Amino acid sequence: MMTMSNAYIDDFPAEAKVIRAAFYSSFFALALGGVFGVIQTLHRTGYYRFIDSADYYTVLTAHGVFLVISFTIFFLVGIFTWAVTTSLDRGVEDLRFTWGWYGLMAIGITLSGVAILAGFTDATDISASVLFTFYAPLQGHPMFYLGLVLFVVGTWLAGVDWFRSWWAWKGENPDERIPLPTFMVLTTMLMWYIATLGVAAAILLFLLPWSLGWIETVNPLLTRTLFWFFGHPVVYFWLMPAYMMWYVLLPKVSGGKLFSDPLARVVFVLFLILSVPTGIHHQYLDPGIAEGFKFIAMTNTMFLLLPSLLTAFTVVASMEHGARQRGGTGYFGWLKALPWRDPVFTGMALAGLMFAAAGFSGMVNAGMNINYLVHNTFWVVGHFHLTVGTAVALTFMAVTYWFLPQVTGKALWSRSVALGQVVLWFVGMTFMSNAMHRAGLLGVPRRTAEPQYDGFEFEAAVGSIGELQAQIALGGILLTLSLVLFFANVIGTGLNGRSDDLPANEYAGTLSGPEDAPLVLDNLKLWTAIAIVLVIFAYTFPLLSIVDRGGLFGPELNPFPVSIESVTLLAFAVEHLAVGALESLSLPGLLEVIR
Amino acid sequence: MRISKAGLLVVLALLAPLLVELRTVLSWINVELSVLETAVVGAVLVAIVLVWAFLPENGEDEDTDETADRNVSNGD
Repeated sequence: MMTMSNAYIDDFPAEAKVIRAAFYSSFFALALGGVFGVIQTLHRTGYYRFIDSADYYTVLTAHGVFLVISFTIFFLVGIFTWAVTTSLDRGVEDLRFTWGWYGLMAIGITLSGVAILAGFTDATDISASVLFTFYAPLQGHPMFYLGLVLFVVGTWLAGVDWFRSWWAWKGENPDERIPLPTFMVLTTMLMWYIATLGVAAAILLFLLPWSLGWIETVNPLLTRTLFWFFGHPVVYFWLMPAYMMWYVLLPKVSGGKLFSDPLARVVFVLFLILSVPTGIHHQYLDPGIAEGFKFIAMTNTMFLLLPSLLTAFTVVASMEHGARQRGGTGYFGWLKALPWRDPVFTGMALAGLMFAAAGFSGMVNAGMNINYLVHNTFWVVGHFHLTVGTAVALTFMAVTYWFLPQVTGKALWSRSVALGQVVLWFVGMTFMSNAMHRAGLLGVPRRTAEPQYDGFEFEAAVGSIGELQAQIALGGILLTLSLVLFFANVIGTGLNGRSDDLPANEYAGTLSGPEDAPLVLDNLKLWTAIAIVLVIFAYTFPLLSIVDRGGLFGPELNPFPVSIESVTLLAFAVEHLAVGALESLSLPGLLEVIR
Repeated sequence: MRISKAGLLVVLALLAPLLVELRTVLSWINVELSVLETAVVGAVLVAIVLVWAFLPENGEDEDTDETADRNVSNGD
């Protein structure tokens, strides 16, 4: 007898293939990024240095780019494709187009990746050890920038693919509300389109022509500002898919329903309009941007706490509902009824918990006055290892244990190993990020291969620097072990045979559904227009002022006059000015003496 | 057992942030713990949690805590 499951692969076999490809690309990047992560952890802390310190920056670039660009974005295009096809209950409009954007992303990141890794060898003159932020005057090989452009264009086309699906669906269902997962994908992509204009301008107008030798100089403050125009919202491009998982999958695996669909829509609308006009808060210490502009960026950033707090409320309320459906009782007793045995649930719950801590350290970063205390220190590294490194990465790893069976049709290799993996990540990141934050408070810098200096010692208020280093190294090793367990599960699942006993491809229902949400929330044109207006308000004057002061392509280079004629001219001018000044003092006696 | 094995694992994991932050918090009231002392405090806390977890609840059967822990999402 043949049994059929209702897994994603059964309904959308062709799309499942694309999602699988995106996931495997993502995991490959995670593996590479993880290896570079442990190398730099051991190098920086001084426990094991087998690379040259000059190569540390190549390692750091690879760690950053492979994890926060390739791992996260390949994974999110996979789950966005799942979200749109599942919630609209229709396949993509043109599968060749879907493979096209995946291919473009893959080619792009390969070019950038090769440019970075080539920095380890002197056999070619290719290198791009410019760190994830690729600030000028650090200059990468043109292949690095070109690869990034292709990768981003690939994501743009992916967005077009999802919008096409929605338009086609809307044509057939003109009076229906946008299903929540699709709504989340569309708002995220609209935000991404606006955000990436900054990095596209930085690369296409300045950095790429500069690396090709077409222009001599760039204005570093301008390219930096354009980078952060993209650089802050990109964190929401990682985070919003994680939020989506907390809204549409976590309530389901908790055994309940999403507390409020309208609140979820409000959150994503707020992210669309507030994510971009905040980037200048990464530049509080940049000279050349007036304090007033920085203050506006800080205010916008503080507003972003609202969607995160709404999410905390909605997600915990949904979890509590699920726990009570499972028989949980009491003020806190319901926590015991949650499915802690399920790595999908536990991973997401621990990721959410870590994100709360990240929110607090983020508020310190966002506040202009206290940011000065932690700017460019190890604190910031601790912060983003809690956000992208845990809230996002741990959520993605946890949901992999749900998605992998869905898109491969194979049962998960080991749920116990998966549970151990997510818990180990939590413990490892606790040790590592706690010590990074504390070291930052002591002034230990970031982006440094050897944070040790002659004649100077950092002083710890509690414990010692050596203990903090040990804590970071211990955390890094636990995280690496966690990754090994993750890949064992991915490979083990891939080697499993096809299973007919998989859970159905479903996402959480709602307690308060879309019918309770005001219609205006689905007006994507309105929210996009407001988002653009806010960006214009936040960026027009800072950008004009930066260009006015530093020039579009950097300050004009006027060499100091050194010829004999100009020195004579200069001497005459100085004498004339001096005599004039003395005369104006009306000191006849003094003038008499001089005469 | 008062708590499922998976629940116990998570509770033990949550001791990690508690321990590393406790050391800082205690320093505010001039109680400075060395790494070894912190480890000893951690071991004591782990022992207390384990004793609590393995004590049977009044009038409750050994199996009851597992029933609430059955997973519904991954179809195991």
